[in-house]
Amino acid sequence: MIRVERRLEQPRWLSLAVPIGSLIVAFVVMTGVLLVTGHDPATTFRRLFDSAFLGSAELNATFVSATPLLFTGLCAAVAFRMQLFNIGGEGQLYVGAIFAAAAALLVSGVPGVVAIPLMIAAGALGGALFALIPAVLRAFLKTNEIIVSLMLNYVAALVLNYLIFDSLSYWRDTSSPEAKVFPQGKPLPDAASWPLSHIGGLELPFGLLLGIVIAGVVWVLYSRTRFGFEVQVIGDSPRAATYAGMRTRRKILAVMALSGAIAGIGGASQDGDVRHLLDARGLSAAGYGYAGIVVAALARYNPFAVVLVAFLLGGIQNAGYTLQGADFPSGLVGVMQGLILFCALGGELLIRHRIRFERRRPAESVA
Amino acid sequence: MSKRKVALVAALTAVVATASLVVTAVGSAKQHDVFKAAWIYVGPHNDGGWSQAHDQGRLAVVKALGSKVETTYKENVPEGPQVSQVIDSLVKDGNKIIFATSFGYQDAMVAAAKKYPDVYFEMATGYKTSKNMAVYYGAGEDSIFLSGMAAGAATKSGVVGYVVPFAIPEVIRHTNAFALGVQATHPGATVKIVWTNSWFSPATEKKAAQSLKAAGADVIGQNVDSPAAGQYAESVSLPWVGYDSDAQKFAPKQWLTAAVYDWGVYYIPRVKAAMAGTWKTGSYYGSMADGFTKIAPFGSLVASGTKSAITTKAAGIKAGTFKVFAGPLYDQSGKLRVAKGKALSLGDLMAIDWLVKGVEGSAKG
Repeated sequence: MIRVERRLEQPRWLSLAVPIGSLIVAFVVMTGVLLVTGHDPATTFRRLFDSAFLGSAELNATFVSATPLLFTGLCAAVAFRMQLFNIGGEGQLYVGAIFAAAAALLVSGVPGVVAIPLMIAAGALGGALFALIPAVLRAFLKTNEIIVSLMLNYVAALVLNYLIFDSLSYWRDTSSPEAKVFPQGKPLPDAASWPLSHIGGLELPFGLLLGIVIAGVVWVLYSRTRFGFEVQVIGDSPRAATYAGMRTRRKILAVMALSGAIAGIGGASQDGDVRHLLDARGLSAAGYGYAGIVVAALARYNPFAVVLVAFLLGGIQNAGYTLQGADFPSGLVGVMQGLILFCALGGELLIRHRIRFERRRPAESVA
Repeated sequence: MSKRKVALVAALTAVVATASLVVTAVGSAKQHDVFKAAWIYVGPHNDGGWSQAHDQGRLAVVKALGSKVETTYKENVPEGPQVSQVIDSLVKDGNKIIFATSFGYQDAMVAAAKKYPDVYFEMATGYKTSKNMAVYYGAGEDSIFLSGMAAGAATKSGVVGYVVPFAIPEVIRHTNAFALGVQATHPGATVKIVWTNSWFSPATEKKAAQSLKAAGADVIGQNVDSPAAGQYAESVSLPWVGYDSDAQKFAPKQWLTAAVYDWGVYYIPRVKAAMAGTWKTGSYYGSMADGFTKIAPFGSLVASGTKSAITTKAAGIKAGTFKVFAGPLYDQSGKLRVAKGKALSLGDLMAIDWLVKGVEGSAKG
């Protein structure tokens, strides 16, 4: 007989062994899938690994893919910690990108040391304001923040499209020959390009470093301050928190604003690090906000784990493009990525629960 | 450690050991001395539309050149930072000619052409050329006009719906050609348009078709990539005009026809030239006379009179005696844009930003 029961204590070695074990299980299952579909598992895995994490060009591409996931992962983790399900990272990222692009265009002519902090602040402000809509509704009218924040993603996407495709807005480029062929955002001034840090052959986007710093700040905030303690208590038991006199409403507003601000900075990083204009089409095709929820779940809402998971998922995403081809359908790449996520999330069960195998024994007789 | 833990650790070690053995046992990939060519698609290679038409072109190359060439493709590649990385990996894999098939790849292609001077780059629907980067497309407007004639003959209400992606000159040109075709067989008919702001988005395309039906359209046409609007049209028994690929199987009863591209006409000589070292940059604009743009086989709803009218016009286009954008042409406000006896030049068509009379919708998206 098999029984699943909650662990009373979680041994330390488990939190390392289970994720590694889950990955191994994922690879074993994938080996099966690959063999059945007629692919050589060894070459496939080697290519997967090579094209994600080996070689400086591959790593640089992985950094670029990981950066937005880091921000949206933190955005989700910060809110989910308090059982506040902000699904709106996607929309908050768009609004952050819109605000940051506006800031960069407004101050064109100033040096980067001024322009870049302004973009970050504007992105954070945009994301936070947009996240405050579901927050206020939740705090004062008890609406469901999942639905409100999710629906606002569509609103943000429509606004983004409107600014570039449907209007002659401040953000839209109306003069260059490129823009005559295809509507696009106004190119941001050079000073608004975020710097790359070179370490050996590696190029670290400024947004990635900024995201790691934010992860550190979030960790301190949540594990070393009274604010963080109260967030935990509210998340675990809202009634106990109210009983203890904690101000739940204020926390909802603060946490959602923080969560949205982080996503908004992610949007600013897209403007500054990668695209150098407000890229309506590219941003809405990418789906970073939704991927961030997966990142947060895999990282169990731990900010440092978010950094790691964003890097891993970014790498797997990149490797997916290298792997697919005429003889390797992109659907199979999706299956592989899905299996890794599935096994990693499934492994969670083993950390919090244990499985007992019991043989049925005859009832012991009392001697 | 308890017995159970020992067993667990042993099992894990065994799995890891086997896995690493397998990985190391198999050597590097075999090296071939064949010419490698690659394609990049914005949707799935079997999207039933644009990307599928390109993939048919790729297969035509395989058929024509056989084992001398090895082709591959990358599908579902978003128009964003990933493109550069996809190109990098294609070059790394030894591809010597790369065809990018969506407009949003252009900047990444320009950068890659600079970075890899010994690789040939081919940019569909693009306009930026360099020593090792060429652009190619074709007069889709001619065949779209013909498909519009089929739609015009099929409408009873005089309202035809048209699902359109982005408000850019290419799509505006195509929309105008479609509307002129509709009016050729149904004078006074209107074409209602709905923008999807995406090349490939089946869910949005279906919604667009639904709203067009609600607005009174009794025939649906499209300039977007997937057959979703056609599947919807089939389910509500509205005749459908497709685009890019022969997609009759998605709407067997309601299929009229479609303007399609035969990309192989361009791909085969280009790959051959690249192999022979005679490749030169250029800007190709294929025509019906080349066999590059075509009209797909007609469905059973198309009357024989309509078929012969379309065939006659097609012959006129091929011979150069009939021009789709010949005056008099009026814009939406009724203003005369092209006088009688004149026609829009290719340059005008490449920059067109106004819709012809009878189109209902905004040219700004």
